[in-house]
Amino acid sequence: MRPFILLAVTAFVVGFISCKEDNPEGTLTLHFKAVYDGQPLQTFTTHPFEGIQQIQFTHLSMMVADLQLVKGSAVKDLDDIELVDLSFDNLAAAEAGYTLTIPNVATGSYDGIKFGLGVPPDLNQKKPADFSSGSPLSKTGYYWVAWNSYIFSKTEGRLDTLGNGTLDLGFAMHTGSDALYRAGQGTIPIVIEEGKTTNMNVLLDYKDLLQGVDIKSHPQNHTQSDTSEIVKIVNNYGTSITLSL
Amino acid sequence: MTVDGIRLGRKLFYDPILSVDSTVSCATCHQQALSFTDGLDRSQGVAGMTRRGSLSLINVGFHYDGLFWDGRSPNLEHLSLIPPEDPIEMAETWDNVELKLRNHPVYPTDFRQAFGIDNVSGIDRHLAAKAISQFLRTIVSGHNSRYDRFVRGEIFLEENEFNGYLMFFNIDPSLPDAQCGHCHNAPLMATNDYFNNGLQESPDLYSFPDPGLGAITGIASDNGRFKPPTLRNLVFTAPYMHDGRFKTLPEVVDHYASGGKESPNKSSFMFNLVLTESQKADILAFLLTLTDSTTLTNPAFKNPF
Ligand code: HEC
Ligand code: HEC
Repeated sequence: MRPFILLAVTAFVVGFISCKEDNPEGTLTLHFKAVYDGQPLQTFTTHPFEGIQQIQFTHLSMMVADLQLVKGSAVKDLDDIELVDLSFDNLAAAEAGYTLTIPNVATGSYDGIKFGLGVPPDLNQKKPADFSSGSPLSKTGYYWVAWNSYIFSKTEGRLDTLGNGTLDLGFAMHTGSDALYRAGQGTIPIVIEEGKTTNMNVLLDYKDLLQGVDIKSHPQNHTQSDTSEIVKIVNNYGTSITLSL
Repeated sequence: MTVDGIRLGRKLFYDPILSVDSTVSCATCHQQALSFTDGLDRSQGVAGMTRRGSLSLINVGFHYDGLFWDGRSPNLEHLSLIPPEDPIEMAETWDNVELKLRNHPVYPTDFRQAFGIDNVSGIDRHLAAKAISQFLRTIVSGHNSRYDRFVRGEIFLEENEFNGYLMFFNIDPSLPDAQCGHCHNAPLMATNDYFNNGLQESPDLYSFPDPGLGAITGIASDNGRFKPPTLRNLVFTAPYMHDGRFKTLPEVVDHYASGGKESPNKSSFMFNLVLTESQKADILAFLLTLTDSTTLTNPAFKNPF
């Protein structure tokens, strides 16, 4: 297991690994998985939460952007933007997670992987109508008019606030707006071999993601002034994401 | 899309030739004067009532994550093949429709102009569906509503409409969040997503009277979820919801204000909104700004016969 370390989002110039036509290539397959306290996270199952509370998730998703393989100080662009939906109501699907297959990766040894969580500022200036129907950014359900921003991630569910077995409070934590874009890097040796597939797991532990988040008093955040809890969520990406091969 | 393709599609849309007894056309259940719905709880086909109510076809070309209330059709070309062979809606067979079209005095010319076929045997269901889809994609509505003119900065909304707008999209933190914009987002006032908006009560994920999306995907947590239809031209599209259970818009707003009926996957956006009567009236006033009646009289969408 390797940690994923959040980076300051600054524009710095890095070299690009160019892909020559006759270079041998392999495939990188990323398996994004939601876990809760280390166990595969199935929606519509109940888990212990802060104090006496119990939590049940109904929807888990996020935009993953600017995915890059890192080699020294150079990077290889893999994917611009992907909507990673981790809402699985059965265990087998939750264990398998969301698979992102990236073909035609130049063979070689890489030092790690980098990606952003959310929609990077340049793309976040746009609107769903600017994209064709195949793009995740064309989804109007992921655009929030009042923020002039895409919704970067959705974490929805219900809370048993009294610990009495009744899920009495619905919650929807949606992150968004440029200030809440986060990017990070994980150092992990990745070897891409000709004609072969290299698998990598990206685990997101929602218990750690919601660490310190007061859902009970802020079951929703939809005004720009009320970002206290969602800022905690995006800052928790560093402690909740781990990488493994 | 071509002019001739659209012209042919419009004729087919309005022609009862697609039904077994020449009594029902697409337009029977999708009437221009009713923003392409039919005013019924459930639609009347050649052989009785359909399972669910008709859907408006305005801006349908922009719905790309599934068509029908439950998303069971991926695109218009696929969908247009379905009603003629639906045993309740039109109860015909495409084999027979193809014969009727090939032997028709005018359609062979129309098909030749639209698709360049050189023989009547080239007339088939797929070209017919293609033409109908081309026509459907032209049914675009929005430009002329008060809401759109307001967004373009051409007019101001009345105070009550504006209040409703602020609550609909949760723009003003001092007003309650009516939650609507999550599921009915601009510009379509729909989303290409599926939700359980609390219409059906169910103790678990398996007991919804109409499972909606879940019956298509086979995923339990999709049960009870439906596509949010456009809220444009609501004044003409009553009754509301997939089973037409609400006859008026105030009933719809009351439903949302109350948070709806309980079930495990009811959306987190559905709960008692604690709205005053005047706030409900403001939301209603905003909904009416989404009216574009020019769509209902646009000659390009009229019955060509
Ligand atoms: C008997 C009435 C009836 C007839 C005839 C009929 N429809 Fe429909 N239409 C419906 C109903 C009811 C629905 C919603 C059904 C559902 O979702 O289960 C619908 C849904 C649709 C939709 C989906 C819209 C959306 O937003 O998902 C399209 C498109 C459509 N019809 C086109 C057509 C076309 C084209 C024809 C002719 C070939 C036609 N219909 C004939 C009743 C009818
Ligand atoms: C959780 C998502 C969600 C929210 C929030 C929501 N809607 Fe809906 N809406 C839907 C869905 C899904 C349907 C279709 C449900 C069905 O018929 O099964 C719908 C249907 C409707 C209809 C009926 C349209 C027709 O042609 O039949 C109206 C009107 C409507 N909503 C208005 C509103 C208003 C006003 C609000 C805010 C007060 C709102 N909605 C909030 C999801 C939502």
